[in-house]
Amino acid sequence: MNRAAKALAVPALLLVAAEIATRLSGTTSLAVAPPSSVAVALLAALGDGTMLAATRDTLACAFGGLFVGGAIGLVLGLLFGLVRPLDRLMELTVEAIRPIPSVALIPIGMLSLGFGYSFEIAIVAFACVWTMLIMTRAAIGGIEPRLLEVSRALRLSTLQRIFKIVIPAALPRIIVAFRLAAGFALVVAVTVEIAANPQGMGYGILIAQQSLSPQLMLAYLLWIGLVGYGLNVLLSLAQQRLLGRAAMGEVRQ
Amino acid sequence: MNILKSAIVTAAALAFTALVPFAAAGAADKIIIGCTATTDCASAAVAEKEGIFEKNGLDAHMLLIGLNSNIPAALLSNSIQIGGPTPSVFLQAVDGGLDLVAVAGASVSDKSTADTAAVVARPDSGIKTAKDFVGKKVGAPGIGAFLQVLFAQWLIQNGVDPKQVNFVEVTFPTMNDVLKSGAVDAVVTAGPVMANMINSKTGVVVSHYLEELPDGKPQVMLAATRSWADAHPAQLAAFRKSLDEAAKIVNSDPDKAREALSGFTKIPMKVLNTIKVSVSDPKITKEQLDWWVDVMNKQDMLQKKTPDTAALIAK
Repeated sequence: MNRAAKALAVPALLLVAAEIATRLSGTTSLAVAPPSSVAVALLAALGDGTMLAATRDTLACAFGGLFVGGAIGLVLGLLFGLVRPLDRLMELTVEAIRPIPSVALIPIGMLSLGFGYSFEIAIVAFACVWTMLIMTRAAIGGIEPRLLEVSRALRLSTLQRIFKIVIPAALPRIIVAFRLAAGFALVVAVTVEIAANPQGMGYGILIAQQSLSPQLMLAYLLWIGLVGYGLNVLLSLAQQRLLGRAAMGEVRQ
Repeated sequence: MNILKSAIVTAAALAFTALVPFAAAGAADKIIIGCTATTDCASAAVAEKEGIFEKNGLDAHMLLIGLNSNIPAALLSNSIQIGGPTPSVFLQAVDGGLDLVAVAGASVSDKSTADTAAVVARPDSGIKTAKDFVGKKVGAPGIGAFLQVLFAQWLIQNGVDPKQVNFVEVTFPTMNDVLKSGAVDAVVTAGPVMANMINSKTGVVVSHYLEELPDGKPQVMLAATRSWADAHPAQLAAFRKSLDEAAKIVNSDPDKAREALSGFTKIPMKVLNTIKVSVSDPKITKEQLDWWVDVMNKQDMLQKKTPDTAALIAK
């Protein structure tokens, strides 16, 4: 309790200072607001359901993109990791496409898919493919060679080798890749909404800014931070609970 | 491995449910009208709020778009069926090869609303006339945006080459802070943001430059893709009829327009009450587009110098 109080002391002091500063300075800025009015705006937006609906839209796209992109990245990563000639064949192509910033695809996505979920999911998926692909490929490359020797000694078939040796051995790193991709997914989803897609939390920020309500804009910012934090906690809990020591071994090293 | 399997199944299911709404969308004859958070689309907002669209048999709704320059792409992807681009955005989109047509007028320039926009400079910047802008940094809501193009036109009229002025993009809500910090010497601004800057003495008005422009020139117009306009003649006629009725309300009862705008843009009434609503004119003519082509040509904004403007207006 004492530790918690100590940890909260600095943020609390900063909030009080911000409150006093904004109140006393009589600022006319349309980009800052006192913390108390941000809190009021946050509660009001949560209360009337608009912020929760926006959160649902953003998370649906972030997860949709994460799963689509993650699945594509995982399959390609496994393929490239296991079949070296294919990896060498595709290396240039992958390295040429990978550096394209996902948000640079917004204009093309908007033209071809229009506003809505599929547009945002496509952009998020593009951002997530590469993390999964590269890390899965590296994870397979990093598998202890003796494990593969064992699989050969046991005369396992290719499929058995993949499911009994390769994936379990590479799983901890794949999980880390998934968590990293999940972080990107939220960032990219919100960015797509701010830049073009009229839905979700990013659109909420944009509209709050354009309707000259900095308190609501900052409330959305705070909420996105909380959602991102919550997402990370959930994923790390899921990692521990669902995968147990298998997933933790590599992470702790 | 069960975990992996169930994860893959869940992923596929989630992706599928996320994509399903799109298969269903777009089938109905609903009209989505995309406009930005200004008073320019007041007539369409009033037509929705007052049930004029409904009375004329239209299922039409407003959608708030963040950036005006996103409107052509939104039209082309059929995310919106009618949009409110500025003439500069519309003509550049057409110039770039997008097959868009003007379906109606939205707002036009007018002496009575010319003071709602201005170029505002820091009090210590020494900027008093058009000539003083040479070598200075000026913030505008968008390069090629309505306010910036007409400001450049004002500079030309006053013998200054706009190329000698450094333009940077500054969003409306941050203009006050950016000007105060000295990051720019002046901003091209409008509406409540402008009033806020002047009242807080962050800046002083150098010119209400729209006052020097002729009346009746479109500020925002309503556009659709040519294929949509050709395929929906009855709806288009009903849309134009609705706008005719709504424009009369906007021009005679601005408070009613503000109410409709507040619902659509989410701008609070106390802010909207401080600004003038743009004059609505539901007509769009070849002459109006030609005037814009001329303004844009003077700034080398179009590749095709003489577009067939008559063909750019839906029948």
